[in-house]
Amino acid sequence: MTPSHNEAFNAHAIHEFSFWFMDLQKLRNDFPLLASPSNKPVMYFDNACMSLKPRAVINAMNQYYEQFPACGGPGRSGHALGARVREAVDQSRQTIARAIGAQHPNEIIFTRNTTESINLVARSFRWNAGDVVLTTDKEHNSNLIPWLNTRRLSNIRHAVIPSLPDNTFDLSAFEQLLKLGSVRLVSVGLVSNLDGVRVPIAEIIKRAHAAGAMVMVDAAQAMLHSPLNVQALGVDFLAFSGHKMLGPTGTGVLYGKRELLENLEPFLLGGDTVSATTYTDFQLLDVPERFEAGLQDYAGIIGLGAAMEYLQSIGWPFIESQDQQMNRIITEGIAHLKGVHMIGPADPALRGGIVAFTIKGMDHHQVAVMLEQMNAILVRSGQHCVHSWFGSRGIPGSVRASVAFYNTVDEAEQFVQAMEKITTLL
Amino acid sequence: MVCILSFIVLSITGLFSSTHRELAKEAWGCVWRRVTLRPCTVGFKEKIKGRLVAWLLGRSTLAAKILNRYFELLSWTLVVLTMVSTFWTVRGLYNYYFYGSCNGLNSTGFCVFDPAGENNQVSSLNTQCSDKPQKESDVILSPVPVEEFPTKNAGVKNQVVFIGCYSCDYTRKSYPLIQQLIKETGAQYTFVHFPVKPETKYLSAYAQCIADQNIEQFWKWNDVVFASEKSDIAKPEYIQTLMEKNGIDTKKVLECVNDPKTAETVNRQYNQIKSTHLYGTPTIFFNGRAYVGPKPYRVYRNALRRFLPW
Repeated sequence: MTPSHNEAFNAHAIHEFSFWFMDLQKLRNDFPLLASPSNKPVMYFDNACMSLKPRAVINAMNQYYEQFPACGGPGRSGHALGARVREAVDQSRQTIARAIGAQHPNEIIFTRNTTESINLVARSFRWNAGDVVLTTDKEHNSNLIPWLNTRRLSNIRHAVIPSLPDNTFDLSAFEQLLKLGSVRLVSVGLVSNLDGVRVPIAEIIKRAHAAGAMVMVDAAQAMLHSPLNVQALGVDFLAFSGHKMLGPTGTGVLYGKRELLENLEPFLLGGDTVSATTYTDFQLLDVPERFEAGLQDYAGIIGLGAAMEYLQSIGWPFIESQDQQMNRIITEGIAHLKGVHMIGPADPALRGGIVAFTIKGMDHHQVAVMLEQMNAILVRSGQHCVHSWFGSRGIPGSVRASVAFYNTVDEAEQFVQAMEKITTLL
Repeated sequence: MVCILSFIVLSITGLFSSTHRELAKEAWGCVWRRVTLRPCTVGFKEKIKGRLVAWLLGRSTLAAKILNRYFELLSWTLVVLTMVSTFWTVRGLYNYYFYGSCNGLNSTGFCVFDPAGENNQVSSLNTQCSDKPQKESDVILSPVPVEEFPTKNAGVKNQVVFIGCYSCDYTRKSYPLIQQLIKETGAQYTFVHFPVKPETKYLSAYAQCIADQNIEQFWKWNDVVFASEKSDIAKPEYIQTLMEKNGIDTKKVLECVNDPKTAETVNRQYNQIKSTHLYGTPTIFFNGRAYVGPKPYRVYRNALRRFLPW
């Protein structure tokens, strides 16, 4: 065994060890909402919308505000506090780059959220008339509207890849669309916020690249649940939000291969994006600064880095195991209940951390309110920003329970019991 | 429909609860969309339904089932009931403000703002043998020759005729208010003594004779009589002392009182007053409309402002 193999083996062993001996209650104590006795106890199943924040993230942000609340952008304050800000922001960038397997930290652009990241690409890409962008038929509005708008502004075309009847990705339909030619970009949600289904991203990227198309991955729903390596997968662009992966609200990331980012035309310019200006011209800074216009949310960026570090300290095996266990308990508990119709494939293993369903004869909002009233169970109800999917099927909305690693078996069982009670009304 | 009902209820409860305030805002959003002929999209109905059904489910599954199934129908029923009760509440408030009773002028039914019914109490004439309920609308002023009784500010637009009894508590309660009203408004004012209690029946003749002798002295004497103890004014010698103290020619008044013609006039007037269908004192006519019982001052003041629809 080479030294590097040894290291890998040890890391794996430590992971396994930590997985088996992970103290969930201790871990929950890291989250003020779950740990503080002054907070009203809740069972939080709305993680697909917003994850909870561990104390490590809050502390990291507080540290900025309390110890070095200064400007940190390039060319801004050169004093000691400014240097600390730049150092902390750089560290966050490195942490995130490392976590997603980016080749270089400069491939990480900080944005406000996934939406902004996707819009940045849509608005900065050098489109040719007739270019085709492909998305699936169940994309979040954030990965649909930017392309519809780009179609309007840049004369591109947009096509939708239909899903299979069980809502999983249809590779053959995708292949057919690729064959039509002119596909410049495939933009897909890695994990659907509608039903938790994960697309076969490696295969999608392979086929897209073979057809000469680039791939943008909306990883908003994936970052809290599974590891990701952009280099290994060959991802061209990747977007995700901080608030769905334990980080602060108003933070997000756009990853892009360096050569691709350098070829984008920044649409948001101003302070910190240029090295020099005259009255008639300006000189852009390098990537990523040229895309980070204006004073940044330093506290948020630092918090985002802390969130990524915290996630990695938990370990993916434990996180994935928790997701699967919770989803299985809930799915097996409610799928057979009167009136309940699950959205997506029946197998919970194919739906990550999301259980979405409708109840025949009962409004989804009503069910969500009842869950909260009866057992303080917090879920999301509605169309979850996937209006296109619901509208095309004539479904008014769904109830969505989305789990995270800090949810417990007891919570999942209480969810099932509450649903059993609610369905007695039918 | 539940949004209208909720808006009404939550607007009230929202005064005390921030949670209800938020819900009231949502309810208003829903109401506004309905009013502007758009569907209610805020999910408010489902929210309220969910809360109520969940609450009920913890107590009775059957009741929760019924509410869940017939929520719209129950909402409509409650809305109609709310509208009806709102109408009656507003009407009750209006009546209480203008007439002193939630149920209307001189009505003796229960009123939450006047639970003891003090604004409608009268010194009764013992007319319990009447073959029909005594109503204010039956009480008419026309049989009374108003000009024969002590009157001030004659000839002005508004007319107040006060029929009261010197020894009756409710007359004594409203008397100072009427004096204040006349002072403030300058309305024509007539005082008619109607002796409900036998011990002060004799005072009708005294009032008649003093007024005939000197009307200004009469008003002063009248005030003093109402300010005196009931037990005192039952004694003629006390009344005579009062006359002397107020500079009234006692001898002349007594001559008038003892004159059989006076007794005849007083009896005639007594019968005329009875023929108004009066059933208790005080009965106060404001421009011919009878207000029976002691009312708050605002009621008297409003009675002279002629904008009451009913």
